[in-house]
Amino acid sequence: MATRPTVTIASHDGNPSGSTHPLPAVFKAPIRPDIVQTVHAGMAKNKRQPYAVSEKAGHQTSAESWGTGRAVARIPRVSGGGTHRAGQAAFGNMCRSGRMFAPTKVWRKWHQKINLGQKRFATASALAASSVPSLLLARGHQISTVPEVPLVVASKAFEGAAIAKTSAAIKLLIAVGAGPDVSKVRASRKLRAGKGKLRGRRHRQRRGPLVVYHPDEDGKELVRAFRNIPGVETSSVFALNLLQLAPGGHLGRFIVWTSSAFAALDEIYGSTTTPSALKKDFLLPSNVIHNADISRLINSSEVQAVVRPAKGEAKTKRTGVQKKNPLKNKQVLLRLNPYAKAFSEEKLGSKKLEDGEPERAAESFAKTLHED
Amino acid sequence: MAEHLQSNVSQDLVWEICRPNNAYLYAGFVNNKAVGIQPAEKGGVTLTTKKTKHLNRPVANKNEVSWSGQKSGPKIYKGIVNYTAKQGYRADLRQEAVARASAIRQSQKPKKEDPELKLRGSKAKKAEEKAT
Repeated sequence: MATRPTVTIASHDGNPSGSTHPLPAVFKAPIRPDIVQTVHAGMAKNKRQPYAVSEKAGHQTSAESWGTGRAVARIPRVSGGGTHRAGQAAFGNMCRSGRMFAPTKVWRKWHQKINLGQKRFATASALAASSVPSLLLARGHQISTVPEVPLVVASKAFEGAAIAKTSAAIKLLIAVGAGPDVSKVRASRKLRAGKGKLRGRRHRQRRGPLVVYHPDEDGKELVRAFRNIPGVETSSVFALNLLQLAPGGHLGRFIVWTSSAFAALDEIYGSTTTPSALKKDFLLPSNVIHNADISRLINSSEVQAVVRPAKGEAKTKRTGVQKKNPLKNKQVLLRLNPYAKAFSEEKLGSKKLEDGEPERAAESFAKTLHED
Repeated sequence: MAEHLQSNVSQDLVWEICRPNNAYLYAGFVNNKAVGIQPAEKGGVTLTTKKTKHLNRPVANKNEVSWSGQKSGPKIYKGIVNYTAKQGYRADLRQEAVARASAIRQSQKPKKEDPELKLRGSKAKKAEEKAT
């Protein structure tokens, strides 16, 4: 495409506001699910809290081995008498009330270091994927009422703390076509299976739209307005997080941009040739191939003009084909036995013998045969 | 051929991204040209097709055609084929599209009630005795 594509900016009621914005270069970054997944896997680990079993667990007894010669295993045994516990095996991971195998320690390696370049690549990639309607649909977002992807709402709608109340926020989301996605989240709230219920993760629900704003121009009141809507998250355009851009490592989060945040993207991420103003030493990753539409490349006249004609006959391997019965299927029969054509045309199968009935053997024949 | 907003995206790429998480052999949301067939009111059928002009405008990006239940089956099927397979919409799925429309029509017909069972033999005799 010679011209840079533009994106319509929607006003607060969802209709086009009349103004447009050229698509920031970050949306042309290569979409790499492999990088996003590895970076996501690392980042998701960095919020964990250490846990471990007690250091003393399984060792709070003065058990000693009985040694050999008592016809029992040499495992340490609880000393003393008077209770059932006396004489029972202790300490081992195979013992009842013994220590676990390789007791967990709080100094496990909980956090992952992720290369900054990879993190930035993944963020750019996730942003690019957020502008592809089919990837949004693949993530499960309801976007059939959304006028345009990426969805940009004029910052005017947020001016002067206009969206400071949740009711106003919901009204805005419905007006710009994000209503079905929000109600999908509401309907998806389920009780979590398992112990997580007791550990502060009682419910699980889908993720709805992510509202990205410019904190200096849109104000921060909208954060409080949006935060009580289930599934809806807000993020400053300067602090975009891969965990929000690609939840679960799956590309294509539905993002509602404010126009000032959208306009700031080119400054934040730069392009493949101009470095980012805010990130040190960062150029957007470039695509390996300029045009991702492979079938179009292959079928282009430039490629087809230099392609050699295919050698030999066209061969298609037919798999999963039913075997035909040559006794019933004439065409299959002919393939196996070309003579069948002549045979049936001449009606050789039902022809009388040319010389009529064979002559009966003379009576003398039997006589001669049985002669001793 | 349809253009995505950016040149770094194509339906082949989207399918490669989705395929590990997709149980099916194809998914309409991936393709630039996709077809949906849904039941309409009064025994009719609605055909929805994805347009290729504005791939990034979900609202504007679809066409809908409806046939009323009055139309004969073959006419509807012919219409579906004319709108889809003959317009470059996955000609290999022509039969599936027609089959789906046919199944929808079949499902919308009022169900015939089973005729009342005629009693035979000893049961019939008993019923007769009861009646008299």
